[in-house]
Amino acid sequence: MLSLSETLSTRSPALETSDIQATVLRPRPKPYCGEYVILRIGNAEQGREMLRRILPHVAPADEWWAPSLPGWLGIAFTFEGLKALGVPQASLDSFPIEFRQGMAARAAILNDLGANAPANWEFPFGTPEAHVALAIYARSKEDLQKVLDVARKSHKDLDQISVVYRMPFGELPDGRNPFGFKDGLHNPHVEGSGPAATGADTPVKAGEFVMGYADERGETANVPIPLELRRNGTFVAIRKFHMDVAAFRRYLQAEASSPEEEELIAAKMVGRWRSGAPLVLAPDRDDSALGADGSRNNDFSYADDMKGLKCPFSAHIRRVNPRDALKNDVVAVNLHHFLRRGTNYGPPLPEGVLEDDGAERGGVFLLIGAQLHRQFEFIQSQWVTDSNFIGHGTEQDPLIGNNEGDGVFTIPRTPVRRRLHGLPRFVSVRGGEYCFMPGLRALRWLAHLDGDDEHTGRQ
Amino acid sequence: MTTKTVTKPEQSEVAKKIEELRKLYADAPEVGRIALEHLMGSMKDGIITDTEKTSSAGRTGLRRGKVSELTIVFPIAPGGAKRLKAVLDSGFNVQAPDRVGSVHDMRYVFLDNDTRILFATTYDGEWDPYVDDFATHIPDELDVVFCNCEGWPGVRSPAVKDYIAKYQVTARAWYVAQPNLTVRDLKRLERIGPALDEFLDKIA
Repeated sequence: MLSLSETLSTRSPALETSDIQATVLRPRPKPYCGEYVILRIGNAEQGREMLRRILPHVAPADEWWAPSLPGWLGIAFTFEGLKALGVPQASLDSFPIEFRQGMAARAAILNDLGANAPANWEFPFGTPEAHVALAIYARSKEDLQKVLDVARKSHKDLDQISVVYRMPFGELPDGRNPFGFKDGLHNPHVEGSGPAATGADTPVKAGEFVMGYADERGETANVPIPLELRRNGTFVAIRKFHMDVAAFRRYLQAEASSPEEEELIAAKMVGRWRSGAPLVLAPDRDDSALGADGSRNNDFSYADDMKGLKCPFSAHIRRVNPRDALKNDVVAVNLHHFLRRGTNYGPPLPEGVLEDDGAERGGVFLLIGAQLHRQFEFIQSQWVTDSNFIGHGTEQDPLIGNNEGDGVFTIPRTPVRRRLHGLPRFVSVRGGEYCFMPGLRALRWLAHLDGDDEHTGRQ
Repeated sequence: MTTKTVTKPEQSEVAKKIEELRKLYADAPEVGRIALEHLMGSMKDGIITDTEKTSSAGRTGLRRGKVSELTIVFPIAPGGAKRLKAVLDSGFNVQAPDRVGSVHDMRYVFLDNDTRILFATTYDGEWDPYVDDFATHIPDELDVVFCNCEGWPGVRSPAVKDYIAKYQVTARAWYVAQPNLTVRDLKRLERIGPALDEFLDKIA
């Protein structure tokens, strides 16, 4: 462990984008379609063989499309998966406790209650059977099939490797999410990962998102061991969400006296209008040009909205990314970022339909960061499912919080605040896992655990 | 005290606890033995209503509702007692808990001839997720006080959570008047109360 003076003087090496997986640093392609696949490893030797075959096709961040594929592939492992591969015990023991316990076991910390409780999750989420997660992206269905073929060939003849989960995903028309909102507009800018979008916020130290570099505390991760396993790796919190679009539409209709008011209430809950225009910059009506302009739709702060009159304190984007809204509090927001790689799935609910059609639709999010505990877990437990930080008692995030038909949402307003009641659960968690997403050299280390003794155990 | 229908298993649990108390108090000082007999009746109700109210506050301490207690007894480093007294007497240390916004109370008590210091606080939510934030925003306020504790690694050190856990003592019993009101809730109610009174006066 480095002393205080050593950590403060650590210089940050340049990001090794050829060794970091593309999924960590790069946004999804446009347009996009793909599949998530979860595999179970029944035999360590076969697991490593599969890994050896799939390795050449895992996309690095500097070359999103591996030369062999018309798409890209990302791979990550749960703790159970690392065990199943035969990772040495000392290495397993060195992983942070939240990763070892798994997301399901930490439901009390995450406030995954009611419909979100792991008991209600889809198999294999939350069970010891989920080992390897594959994220497969392509621009077209034809290209996707080619990538899927490669993935399938890596394990088809290995009888101890089984597919325990598969789900397709794809972009909705207009690139909106199932609620009809432009999504995926903001991510922290990772220092050294490439040119920043204009209007982006201050770069965040690479070590917050990838291990092997200095983080915002000036520290470089020293676990898990060995170095070969941890360098250029990171952690991913997978969250599969079901979105009840019909309930969302019904609620807006019930609370509003006009279609315009419905749009305003929806925007107040999200923090942006459907076009993506942020409330802080467009407080009274939508501005679709602003929403479409990537150089402007993130260029805002809450400095002029400290009373929440433009964007409510309780709005979704203000909760998960407070920017400077908490600058008077003892909280270091730069320690609580994650990268959000999301994809939608399912068919759109046709315009005007107010009854659920029973279809599965929503989003799957890969929430990426080197420190699960103070990133995803912190935001989920302190800012999404609690409101003490904004003095709103036990109010929940209006979109993804734990509302059971009794939810409250406060809209600051003069002369008197407006308070909405009876919010149902619009979004439910269908499943989740904590995964470790290794660098490419680390994947080779994992694939050769049985062979070369030089590779194992060295710090 | 609330009345509630007592189930058979609960009844026998209560009876067991009362019996155990009676046995232990058989050779207690007389003033206590008599007090116990006087309290017998109300004690039965008390035992029932308090079950399940206290829980563990994560890694350290007890919790009731949203509020937890944290009690730590640190060894004082050589020469540390004088420095500790001076820095605590200077009074500036009250600002840090104000800024943190989730500290209900905090006390420092010297024990055992100034060789140990008791630090006790009542706070909202959890402290573990915020240790990194404290290390970022108020490291000096913490280090200037706790450097006087034997072996304090500095608040920025990854070892600080383990150091605290080492000297932390979980309370055996704990009470808080308003378990569901956080410091922020209380501040808000303090603002709203008078405004509401004024409003009621006006419309009366």
